[in-house]
Amino acid sequence: MEVWKADVAIVGAGGAGLRAAIAAAESDPSLKIALVSKVYPMRSHTVAAEGGSAGVVQAHDSLEHHFHDTVAGGDWLCEQDVVEDFVARCTEEMVQLEHWGCPWSRKADGHINVRAFGGMKIERTWFAADKTGFHMLHTLFQTSIKYPSIRRFDEHFCLDLIVEDGRVQGVVVVDIASRRFTLIQANAVILATGGAGRVFRENTNGGIVTGDGMALAYRHGVPLRDMEFVQYHPTCMPGTGLLFTEACRGEGGFLLNRDGYRYLQDYGLGPAEPTPRNKAMELGPRDRLSQAFWYEQQKGRTIDGPHGAVVHLDLRHLGEAKLRERLPQIYELAEEFLGVDPAKAPIPVRPAVHYTMGGILVDGRCAAPLPGLYAAGECSSVGIHGANRLGSNSLAELCVFGKTAGVEAAAFAKSVAHGPADVLLKQAGASQQRALDLVIDPSGTERIATLRKEMAQSMEDGCGIYREARSMQATCDKLAELRERYRKVRVEDTSSVWNTDWLLAIELGYQLEVAQAMAWSALERRESRGAHQRLDGYGERDDANFLRHSLAYHAGADAPHIDYGDVKITRSPPGTRAYGAAGEKAEQELAEQELVEQELVEQELVEQERAAQPGRTGEAHRG
Amino acid sequence: MAETSGNGKVIRVEVLRYRPEQDEEPFLQGYDVPFTDDMSVLQGLQYIKDWLDGTLSFRWSCRMAICGSCGMMIDGEPRLACKTFLRDFPAGTVRVEALAHFPIERDLVIRMDDFLAKLERIKPYIIPKEERTLAQGEYLQTPAQLDVYEQFSSCINCLLCYAACPQYGLNPDFVGPGIMALLHRYNADSRDGAAVERMEIAGSEAGVFNCTAVGYCSEVCPKHVDPANAVNQNKTRAAGDYFLRLVRPKGGAK
Amino acid sequence: MNTPDPRRPYVRPMAGWWRRNPFFVEYMVHEATAFFVAAYALVLLVGLLRLAQGEVAWNGWQEALRSPWSVAFHGVLLAAMCYHSWTWFRIMPKTMPPLAVRGKRVAPGVITACGVAAAVVCSLVALVLAWGATR
Repeated sequence: MEVWKADVAIVGAGGAGLRAAIAAAESDPSLKIALVSKVYPMRSHTVAAEGGSAGVVQAHDSLEHHFHDTVAGGDWLCEQDVVEDFVARCTEEMVQLEHWGCPWSRKADGHINVRAFGGMKIERTWFAADKTGFHMLHTLFQTSIKYPSIRRFDEHFCLDLIVEDGRVQGVVVVDIASRRFTLIQANAVILATGGAGRVFRENTNGGIVTGDGMALAYRHGVPLRDMEFVQYHPTCMPGTGLLFTEACRGEGGFLLNRDGYRYLQDYGLGPAEPTPRNKAMELGPRDRLSQAFWYEQQKGRTIDGPHGAVVHLDLRHLGEAKLRERLPQIYELAEEFLGVDPAKAPIPVRPAVHYTMGGILVDGRCAAPLPGLYAAGECSSVGIHGANRLGSNSLAELCVFGKTAGVEAAAFAKSVAHGPADVLLKQAGASQQRALDLVIDPSGTERIATLRKEMAQSMEDGCGIYREARSMQATCDKLAELRERYRKVRVEDTSSVWNTDWLLAIELGYQLEVAQAMAWSALERRESRGAHQRLDGYGERDDANFLRHSLAYHAGADAPHIDYGDVKITRSPPGTRAYGAAGEKAEQELAEQELVEQELVEQELVEQERAAQPGRTGEAHRG
Repeated sequence: MAETSGNGKVIRVEVLRYRPEQDEEPFLQGYDVPFTDDMSVLQGLQYIKDWLDGTLSFRWSCRMAICGSCGMMIDGEPRLACKTFLRDFPAGTVRVEALAHFPIERDLVIRMDDFLAKLERIKPYIIPKEERTLAQGEYLQTPAQLDVYEQFSSCINCLLCYAACPQYGLNPDFVGPGIMALLHRYNADSRDGAAVERMEIAGSEAGVFNCTAVGYCSEVCPKHVDPANAVNQNKTRAAGDYFLRLVRPKGGAK
Repeated sequence: MNTPDPRRPYVRPMAGWWRRNPFFVEYMVHEATAFFVAAYALVLLVGLLRLAQGEVAWNGWQEALRSPWSVAFHGVLLAAMCYHSWTWFRIMPKTMPPLAVRGKRVAPGVITACGVAAAVVCSLVALVLAWGATR
């Protein structure tokens, strides 16, 4: 096995991994950085993000608003100190991308433009037409080429973390093209491997989104936090699950049921105005919209299609010119994949799994409990999304926390020395052998696709938009059975050049364990919050018992052990999540209450000052 | 067991196989794939991989024509497998091969180191005309200035244009259409000031003058990048530089 | 120590590449029309040479042009050159910087049509002038 000595190793070269690599390289150009990815960086799934990335820019907007939207959107399961840091740094990161060349859409005066997004009170979503993730990824990738200290390991698959002496000391990777193994010795490792949406049947994710990093950390004792919160995006292509961005609604699109009725007004999101108001109707948060679809389906008000029930995403009133300018990719997807001209006919859509809110437990500095291990992006749970992520917060997260992870990992790497290579090599050799055993064992009988299909169907049945103990338990049982059967998985391909059959088998192993963390965390959360909604008597949020993060711990071949951790609350005590007219009323009341409190405080200050400086009354208010 | 399809339609998918450890040279292998009208060629290949033959290798990921992984020759044309549909082959058979003009690593997987190496050479990042701190905010760029380079920034690196370019096939040193589009993307960006450095590559032996204006690259581009336009705009520019260099000994653009 | 590199990339031959795709065949055909342009230039050059050699030579050349074989040959040349011009203007939009009129990009089809129209007009003017001069 080759050994490559790095200071920082990064696994995953999507938005978060690339941003981390650049940050580490900039923080100290003498550091050697290994950037490992199982695909070429520009293939990473950040590429498929469409709508945009959040960052406060408008004069009438404020960090306070972004903070409150995010915390309420997450149903108060957010780490509020981390959210404060996040919202304060989003805009700078977006400007940084602009300086690096990201082709943000512009206003006539040359300043960047922002659009409305679901659950956001004021327009603050930066966008590059409807290919924002694509442009961000290519900008970051091409910019990363500028830094000679970043050594890329493209199309290298990560098999294991090397943990020795109580800290992470490297990763074992294999070159997909040649099946040759390398131990990358590193003093700090950043996991940036993205989400795990492919464990569900109908999803918006690319084939590579298999939860690799989550499983790697999890197997080494790092808990996965809040894994029960899986986001269903409300507007996806039936059958394939391909995404029609939220920007469709940000630009003014409607959701209609079989009667052509904007049904969201029946679910506390109204009133139905011709142009959707922010945080109302079609611009409500994703969990609420997907749940409304489910109810419409129960009521028989959806439309039957070849791939199940659908509703209509109606963009016709926006006109072809605007659609071609603002939503060109959506236009082509609808035309080419569905044969629908969105300027002339509504697009059939249904919810599909889109995003994993939970992930590897890390603190606000992106550090996991295992020393030397960091995580950023969708694979991590830094605590900003809570029980439901707001659209356009995840692209911003990649940059903000990618940078944090890079800077922090670089600092940590400098504080420790490389351990003895022979000990690490022995561990790496064992990991290599475990992986190769999958190919060598000819006794395998279980087809990879069969196991994967059963897993994905079971996750959809048990951990869908609405959940019940019985079906979740069935999913947990099924996953245990599949893990048992996985021991006899059959890898047909025994060759060493581009053996994707073998990699699929390894990925399936990752997926089964991550799926277990999701299902068990869901079963144990006996309340409804954000994207986790139950029908079996736990339909309400239960702050007394469950205003807590779930923590799933790996327990070998057994089911995970579920524990709980505290939620950090700084400024926003848990309140009612209200959208539409009800939301505005609640906000107004809150604002009035704050105004009264502020006046009281100011009055007190005036009085104190008056007492201290009797001669200068009347000027106190100028401060 | 195997996934079933509703309407009982079956298509013969002929795949060019090549396993370097077993095969001297590539050969065609046929598979019968049941399909529905909304299935892409990629979904056909996935069906083969999952249920018929696990040893078939190909790259894919996003399924929505943005990650650029699944470029292949489909009935002799460079296409993205994810947005080519099985319904469009009424003869009941379709031939799938690795992208032309690239070495075949295995089955439908080509070796693309060459593209990455070229990308790294063209300095594909903004080298600012004027420095600006983050605190100073964004560079101003009008929609018209954005429009000048936006289409070239839409390249997804799928390499279809290379498979469409016989000149690249004949001379792999040629920088080729996709890289020229990206080079032009930065040269045409109002924020950038390094066009002179990049023009050295455009005007070099391996540069734009290898292009004989076949134009097929732009025809097959799934993202309307029009790489032929980038190449040819730079022919004019490189020629201008050449003649200026004759007049001014220090060189045209410098 | 690592195992030896098992890769053995296969490079496909390029021989006969232009027959593999109808687009390439058409490309070769329209490139080949350049020979016809060159052939006509040669015909005119011979005319110039004959003119320099005196009246008898010049008249002989004119006589040769009137032969049925020559007329047929010129018909073929004309067709080839029309096709050549059309393909030339067809690719023109790909060779120039974006052209904007009142802030809107001019479509490629419009640029091609303008080129073809200009060629037709020039040809007609030349025809009228030549016709007028010989009367």
